[in-house]
Parts: sequence; C-alpha cells; structure tokens
Amino acid sequence: MTLRVLLVEDDRELCRILRDAMTAEGYQVFTAASLSESFALLTGLGAGVAAGCAPVDLVLLDLGLPDGDGEQLLATLRQRHAVPLIVISARESDGQKVRLLDAGADDYLVKPFSIRELLARMRVGLRHRGTSIVPAVTRYGLGALAIDLGTRDVLMDGAPVHLTPTEFKLLARLVRSAGQVVTHRQLLQDVWGAEFTEHTHYLRLYMAQLRAKLEANPADPQLLMTEPGVGYRIVEAPS
Amino acid sequence: MTDDPSANPRQAARWGWAWACAVWAVAWALMLHFDGRIGLAQVAITLVLAAALAAIWLPLVSSLASTAAAVLAFDWFLVAPRHTLRVAMTEDFLLLIEILLLSWVVAALLARGRVLARRARRSARHAEQMRSLGDALREAEDPLQRGQALRSALADLLGQPAKLLLRGGALPADDAAAMTLGEPDAGELVGMWYCVRLCRQFGPGTGCEPDLPALHLPLRGGDGAGAAFGAALVPVHPLQMAAPEVLTQAQALCDQMGQLLHRAQIRREADAAMAHAQGQAVRNALLAAISHDYRTPLAAIMGAASSLRDLGAKLSPAQRERLLESIVAETRQLSRLTDNTLQLVRLDAPGVTLHLDWESADELAGAAIVRARKHEPERRIKVWAEPGLPLIRCDAVLFSQMLENLIDNALKYSNAPAPVELVVRRQAAHVVFAVRDSGPGVEPAWREKIFDVFQRGDWRAGSTNSAAQRGAGVGLAVCRAIALAHGGALKLRQRSHGGSSFECWLPEAKGPRVEESYAALEAGRT
Repeated sequence: MTLRVLLVEDDRELCRILRDAMTAEGYQVFTAASLSESFALLTGLGAGVAAGCAPVDLVLLDLGLPDGDGEQLLATLRQRHAVPLIVISARESDGQKVRLLDAGADDYLVKPFSIRELLARMRVGLRHRGTSIVPAVTRYGLGALAIDLGTRDVLMDGAPVHLTPTEFKLLARLVRSAGQVVTHRQLLQDVWGAEFTEHTHYLRLYMAQLRAKLEANPADPQLLMTEPGVGYRIVEAPS
Repeated sequence: MTDDPSANPRQAARWGWAWACAVWAVAWALMLHFDGRIGLAQVAITLVLAAALAAIWLPLVSSLASTAAAVLAFDWFLVAPRHTLRVAMTEDFLLLIEILLLSWVVAALLARGRVLARRARRSARHAEQMRSLGDALREAEDPLQRGQALRSALADLLGQPAKLLLRGGALPADDAAAMTLGEPDAGELVGMWYCVRLCRQFGPGTGCEPDLPALHLPLRGGDGAGAAFGAALVPVHPLQMAAPEVLTQAQALCDQMGQLLHRAQIRREADAAMAHAQGQAVRNALLAAISHDYRTPLAAIMGAASSLRDLGAKLSPAQRERLLESIVAETRQLSRLTDNTLQLVRLDAPGVTLHLDWESADELAGAAIVRARKHEPERRIKVWAEPGLPLIRCDAVLFSQMLENLIDNALKYSNAPAPVELVVRRQAAHVVFAVRDSGPGVEPAWREKIFDVFQRGDWRAGSTNSAAQRGAGVGLAVCRAIALAHGGALKLRQRSHGGSSFECWLPEAKGPRVEESYAALEAGRT
C-alpha cells in the first residue's frame, strides 16, 4: 500500500523539490499551498476512507501560510486523528518549536534541511503512529544496552544496571518515543507530575545520572541526545 | 535694591544727620566764641569748613539747604547790622555770596563723588554676583540645582524669591516637558510661557507692560534670536527698578543660565548627530561585511549548479558528485551566516530577552559536538568535561549557537588531520568552555580585532588559505555578543605549543537544589 503524504507548503519551488523527492521514494504526495486548500484536501480525502481513519498517513506542515498559521491545521488535525505531523519551518523562535511539539507535532525541521534528513524523520514518524496500530514499544536495544520496560530490566553487556525509580521512569519515557524529541515539559510532566513542569534542573541532574550510568563518555553522548532549548531524544534502535 | 546689603539705609541716614548736626553745633559754638575777637572773614572760614564736613554725610539737597540756612543765620547773627538780614557793607555781602557758592560747590562735588563710588561698588558687586552664579552653575550637577543657583542670585539682587520655568525639548513645548521652580500658579505660567516664546522682558522697569506686579525675564541663549530656554518671574516694586543697572544685571544673570542651557542643547544635538552617524557607519560596515560573506558561497553555488545544468552530460560521475557536495556545503555556510546575522541584529537590539534556564554544561558541549560531527563527519572532534560541573544559567539555543560557531571556526582554520577539542572545566569561579585547535594561530595584531564584525582580512599567522577571507567576522562577533549577553566573556588565548584556544568564561551561578524531601523519597524507593 502506498503511503499518502500531505505536504502543506506555500513556496512553489521548495514544494516541487520535496514532492519530487518523496515521489521518488515511493510516497503518494498531495500538495496544498494554503490553509484552506489543505482543509479542503483533507475533507476530500477523508470521504474516501473509513470513518475514524486518517485521510493521509503523514503531514508535512509549513507554518507561515498565506491565509493563516499552520498551527490551526495542527490543532484541528489533533482533535480527530493521531496522524504523524512534522513541522517544517524557517527558524522563527525556539519557544514556538517547543510549543508546537507540546501541542502534538511529532517533529520539526528547520529550513534549510537536507532531503535525506527529512526522509529519515518521516520514517521515524510513520513507525510510531498512523499506518497501523503499532504495539507499544517495550523492548529497546542499542549496542551493548538492552532495556525491557515490561520487566524493568536494564542490562549493559548482559550485566544489570541499577537505576533509581525516577531514573527508570525518565528512561522509559524516552524509550517509548525513541528517535523523537521529547520536550522538557513533556518529560517533567510525565515523570514528576504537572506541578513540576518548570523544574528543568531536575531533568539536568537526572539526565546526568542516567548518562553516567549508560554512556561511556557522558560528555560525548551516543545514546541520550540533547536538543538544546527543546528537550531530549534517545537514539532510535535499529529495527 | 541696596548699595550695601549689610547696612540698613534708614539707619545710615539717621547717623548722617546726627553727624551733620554735631558738626554744625560745634561750628556755631566756635563762630559765636570767636565773634568780635577775630575778623569776620576768618569766622566765615569756619562756616565753609562746617558746610563741607556736613556735606560728607548729608544728601545733596539737604546739604545745599542747610548751607543756605547757615549763611542766612550768619548774616542774622554776625553781620552788621545784626539781627537783620540786611548787609551794611559791600565786602560783607560779597563774603556771604562767596561763602554760599563755595559751600555749594564743595557739597556738589562731594555728592558727585559719593554717587560715583556707589556705582563702582554696585558694579563690583554685580560682577561678583555673575562670577558666583557662574561657579554655582558649573558646580551644579542637574538642572534643578542650576535653577536653584539662579533663583538665589536673583533673590540676592532683587530681594524677592524668583520663580523659574526651564523648557525641556524643542518648541512647541507644554508644561509636561518643562520644569518649574518656585511653584508658579497657572496665571504666572501663562506669563512665563509668553516670555519664553517672545524671548522678551516685560514688567516694571522694562518699558513693556510696566503695570504688572512682577518682572518677567527670558533666559536667552546664543544670539538671543528665537525662543528663550526658560523664563524667570520676580515680584518687584516699580521703585526697585528705577536704576536701569538693576534690570541689566537681572537680565545678565538670566542670560548666563540661558547660555548654559543653549550650550547643553548644542552638545546634545552634536552627540545625537554623531551617534546617528556612527550608527549609520556601523550599519553600512555590517551590510558591506555581510554582503561580501554572502557573495562568496553564492558564487560557488552558482558555479556548481550552472556547471551541472550546462555541462552535466560531459562531467564524470565523480565530478558531478563533487559539484553537488560543494552546493550542499556552501548552502550550509549561507544558512549559518544567516543565523549568525539574525542573532547579531537581535542581540544588538535594545531590550533583548534571553530564555534563561538551568542547563548542564556537558550536555551543551555534547550537543554541539554531535552537530559538528554531523556536518564534518571526516574531522576529529574531541570533547572533555570536568566531572561534577555545576549547572549554568543560560539560553541553551544561543549558547549552542556560540559553541557551534566556535567549533566551526576552529575546523575552518586548522588543518584536516589535527583534532579540534572542546574542553569544559571550572576555573576561578567560572565555567570555561574552551575550543582549541592546533592551526597556525592568530597574528598578534589581530587578536583583539578578530571579534569585531567589521574587521576583514587575513588574520591567520602565515595563512595561504583563501577560506580565511570568509566571514569569521560575523561568526566571532556573534559569539562575543552571546558571551556578553550571558554576563561572560569570550577570550582568545594562544596555546603554548601552537594553535588557538577560544574560551568562553561564564561566571558560576548558585544553582537550584533538588528538594531534599524529593531526594529522600527517591532514596527510600531505591
């Protein structure tokens, strides 16, 4: 089955380049140059699929559109579907990036970006949601590290690594979104609770402890990556 | 208005009359004593002497009148026939006339001398007033103090507290933009604004609106043309203004203040013009630097892309690959340049706000290294962080941009096999991020200038690489701006065994603690 991608981008040249690249990769691409066009397209496509299913498999969304902001589409889409959505935008403000991720965007790419990076991020997005009901990630393995969220086992070279309950919760939250950035706010809310969303220093300390236990050189991480000003990401395990 | 403010004029006049009466009494006693013992002419000399002495203390009119009365009395008591005003002998008549004229001349000369002396004293005091006002204005630190100095000088001159209006900006101005001293009421303010706009004096003694109860004086600056810089209002009695020097002096005091304000305005305008010109020069230099930096990668992209379009079929796959790589690399360079330029403009704007948060120094270093490796996978980039570094308070995005720029810079200016290192350590209550290369280093003359966005040229020691001509300016300038915005500093140190170390020194901040209760709970659960 061909995967269907909605590309919302008002720059015609960039739109053409992206469409050609994605078509070459085997995606079926629908393009919209404005907010109203994308709403119309989604409605038209939605009529052809079963109720409850998303009209497309993935959305690439530019923010600055001629008739409004892409955030409106994100909000509307999130009310109905769990379709993966990647924001592509010129860097306007970092606060905006975080807000979009918190509002339900799966990823963001700052223009200019390479096609290779875009296709990789799309693959990650599709693996997590949308195409089918993906079983919840419970096992993770990268190099010498093996994590089983079900049994709460964390093994390094087969030897158990001792983690405190908070460290484990933090690691588990990242593993469930492996390959994707989880914002500071999401991590603090899911691990510590809603009243701790401003306590970023907790995160710094616990991430440092996790790195000390899981990374060979904590200052040169290979597993737990930092997205400055946005959040953290655990490297996606090879499938 | 007094000549000598320390003396009471009425009391002085009273003493003058007392002295004059005493002189006349002694003189009459002597004359009556010598009457009949010596000749009439010798007795008359005593009268002349007394008239001259009395004229020292008496005002001119009183002096003339008392002398005339004394001559009549002399005729009545001492000239034959006695006890009549008639004179028997011609030489006696001549004697009386001569006594009278001589005494009058002496009295007139003395009075004239007194007037001249008084004027000289007044001029000296006015000069002293001007000098002391000048000193007070120079020493004053703000317009309020200067206004108070002028008020006390006017009060000293006119005996009444003055009210002042000092205009702030250019006309048309309103009350909000002006400063007042002495709490003038609404009516007085109207008068003072009128005085400012017309730049004219009016009130008693000025010949214009003499019936007003107060003297209005403009604070004139420059050539006196145009509007005044303020106005003074002093309640005066018309009699006070009888002597024209008083008005002249009061106006001179006000003008001294006006000229000071005028000079201050000229200086402000000159400063603003210079700042504007400098700002313009800075912008022009920035635009020139940036457009130069943009043109270079654009030329490379243009060359590579047009080669691919026009000659694509004739090129070998390896050549095509090289051209495509060059397009990607140059585009990345342009993108970095755009980020830096935008950041520089943002940091330069007034009231810039940073998104400060507690960040882990080794995380930021690690993230910067990961990104640098992604762009330059074939280069060796090493990172080392001292264990147990404190959290730092910074804007993570800006700080990462600075580290990436520094690493980018180090990669660009050092030769390929040599590694670039990022070292984070604690030193002298600072967290120091040092990006070290083993390149040729920076010429001593360029070590400070290298951070200046407008400086262009080849600053590397023994450079032969044309890449050195490219925008290190914007990149390092934005790094320094970011370090400064965080209260830190960006320094360049030459390494002892070759190469440069660009170091960002960030003062250690007292970081927050994880609540102990939470830590205890965590320990309990473990």
